[in-house]
Amino acid sequence: MPIESQIREHLHQEAETLECPQAVSKRIEQSYSQYLKQQRSKNIMKKRLIGGIVAAVIMIPTAAFAAPPLIEMMTRTPMTAEQIRMDSVGQAALEKLYHSYPETKSFVITDASQLGVDPTNVSMGKAIQTSIVLEEKGAYGKKVRLDLNGITGEIEHVNQENWEPLGKPVISLTDEEIKLKVDELINKLFGSSEKYEYSMEPIQNPDQKTLILNYAEKGSTTPYYQALVQGNTISVSLIGGGSAPSVEGYFTTNGKPDYTADAFLNDENLFSLLQMSPAELKQELAKGISVVEIAASKKISKQQVLDVIASTQAKKQIQADLHGKASDDETLEQLKQILAPKVSQVIEHKTETSW
Amino acid sequence: MQSESMYHELIKMIEGDQQAFHTLYDATYRDIYRTVSFLVDHPQDREDIMNEIYMQMWTSLPNYDLDRPFHFWLHGLVIRQVQRFRVKSWRRFRIFDRIRVFSREELYWDQPKETTDGIDPEISKAMQKLTDKQRTVIILRFYHDYTLEEIATLLDIPVGTVKSRYHAGMQSLRKHMGNHSLERMEKNNAY
Repeated sequence: MPIESQIREHLHQEAETLECPQAVSKRIEQSYSQYLKQQRSKNIMKKRLIGGIVAAVIMIPTAAFAAPPLIEMMTRTPMTAEQIRMDSVGQAALEKLYHSYPETKSFVITDASQLGVDPTNVSMGKAIQTSIVLEEKGAYGKKVRLDLNGITGEIEHVNQENWEPLGKPVISLTDEEIKLKVDELINKLFGSSEKYEYSMEPIQNPDQKTLILNYAEKGSTTPYYQALVQGNTISVSLIGGGSAPSVEGYFTTNGKPDYTADAFLNDENLFSLLQMSPAELKQELAKGISVVEIAASKKISKQQVLDVIASTQAKKQIQADLHGKASDDETLEQLKQILAPKVSQVIEHKTETSW
Repeated sequence: MQSESMYHELIKMIEGDQQAFHTLYDATYRDIYRTVSFLVDHPQDREDIMNEIYMQMWTSLPNYDLDRPFHFWLHGLVIRQVQRFRVKSWRRFRIFDRIRVFSREELYWDQPKETTDGIDPEISKAMQKLTDKQRTVIILRFYHDYTLEEIATLLDIPVGTVKSRYHAGMQSLRKHMGNHSLERMEKNNAY
């Protein structure tokens, strides 16, 4: 057999043994649906493209490190430095940053983007997240990245890079010094770090030394803030510890915890109205009295309790529907009325009785 | 692969027809995966390139030449993506890392394959010894049965270059495939 036919035969035989892994097919299918999604919103994308190009030119220095995964690239809308200064959320955050760290005023905004702006409906709805990156001029400049909650404008995540001299990165400092640095960052950009219990531990990371710092509320297992220290970078995330200390299973049915009422009763306004902690409320309820009776013992009327809970729930509802747009009082009242019977059932409920 | 119907499927797919996408994918993925596998050794790289190729499909339709068969366009796509990937990977790794990657790749190839029935391991090994450029030409020539002229068009290089790569490749293959084919090489040097 001539060598040519040998090779030909060999290749065809070997080809038979090569089967395309399932994972590849899945991945390509995903890419295709991603493409379709993008295709549908193309018209609006065009308008944004011009802004995107301008932003891309400004962002050339960051383009190298910012190699985001495909999906993020598609839903993240780049913004120019001008746009971010005009944006109410961005503006507020920048002011806060400039106020806390005056030196950042001279920094250049090298990257800015919004996540989850609905391109089909630009006028309505806000971004889920707005991100800004600021950099000091110079080869080893300080760098800050802020991720903001697009609805509330809260800072959700801060990344602080190169704030220590090159020869002496943050991680090389003592634990005490690191804690001070992180505390400072939290105090300046998030709020007080004092009321939280703090713990520091190293993470298993064979490549690089990494420390994790948890700031948790007393008795809470979820941290409120979490900071990671690695190399010359500190990053702090607001986790929120699950909005205020909450308790699960206020009532019991047949001796088992009953979660039915939790969504209504875990209400900060209610706790402050009753002047009780969630745990205390649960204790009281366990005695077999209803929320209304507890309120009555504190000289609070049923109507007051009902009002507080109903308005919290109504507001939540509206926020979910309108992306946090300001709502008119009328809708709020209407919703409260619809909710009232449900709320009333909850606050009159006694443990170990049927609903 | 019927060129004309494939072209229509392509158009439908780009307009957003999921069904067309599946038809097209089922008709092509085996061929593409095998071609890529011949040209690229590392499984993870193969996966990445596969994905890139299909992503290119819905963007590079304008390059489609109706006078040429569908698979010609498709293989052009494959070749370009593989080449792009090589350029990228050289840039990405510094030399030091590259050495590590190389040694890992060889390790991978040293492992005995499970399904080697009927496959001459000697030829497999000889194929591995080819340079990337030679291998591309050899695969296109013998696996896809393209003429050297067609290969020149696909790779966008002069025919002379294709010929020299082809001959260098064949020589290297002969050398590494051992004696049993040497005696016949004189007689059957035609392609």
